[in-house]
Amino acid sequence: MMAEFELDCLGEVCPVPLVKAQKKIASMAVGDVLTVHIDHSCAMKNIPDWARKEGYNVEVEEVDDGEWDLIIEKNK
Amino acid sequence: MEEFWKKISKNRYYIQFFKNPFSYVTGAVLLALFNIAIFAYSGNPWGVTGTFANWGAWLYRLFGGNVDKWYYFSSASAQTTLENGFLNNTGSWQNIGIIFGALLATLLASQFKFKKIKSARQIVAAVCGGLLMGYGARLAGGCNIGALFSGIASMSLSGWVFAVSLFAGAFIGSKLLTKFFM
Repeated sequence: MMAEFELDCLGEVCPVPLVKAQKKIASMAVGDVLTVHIDHSCAMKNIPDWARKEGYNVEVEEVDDGEWDLIIEKNK
Repeated sequence: MEEFWKKISKNRYYIQFFKNPFSYVTGAVLLALFNIAIFAYSGNPWGVTGTFANWGAWLYRLFGGNVDKWYYFSSASAQTTLENGFLNNTGSWQNIGIIFGALLATLLASQFKFKKIKSARQIVAAVCGGLLMGYGARLAGGCNIGALFSGIASMSLSGWVFAVSLFAGAFIGSKLLTKFFM
């Protein structure tokens, strides 16, 4: 059964969102999905870069001006 | 009108130039070209923090202070810069350009946002970090622009010494960051 997790990283700057996402993903099971809320544009680049390198599926959604949701599926 | 803006926001050139971040290579090439332009125009390579010291001196004067006897401002060239004033200073305009250029870039990308302060810790870290960076940059005679970027571009050994020290400092800083902000 897949579980969904959320990380609120609004108001946090690099590299805090990336390190938090890495720690959270490590604690999750294969098939789980993590949504990271960010408002720091550099996290919109470095988190997807890292997750795709790990082979995870990543989706970036612009939810508002300067605000994004990163949806990462731990598919392996 | 709304239709018009919607159309622009989907335009591929708008997305390529204003919405998506430039690649590191594009950024590096642009920085190099603009630094050459600054050097050709002003006779000095690009620097940032030296100007902030002058801004501090002008601000201090505005409140009736006097920096004429301070060692940092004692050279003839430093005195001339202070006498010429804020508006006649190339560095001032460069820094104003950075501040308003950055604002313009986020506005054009439609990414402007007032961000909330998450904790008192962030305030303490930002104030301490700012003071250390400003103080350190004046002791080192430059920041990561004047001492590192322009230093290395001028084939100066000090630029490389700065680079090695920067990595050491960043390593310690990242350890502190994960300790206090995770």
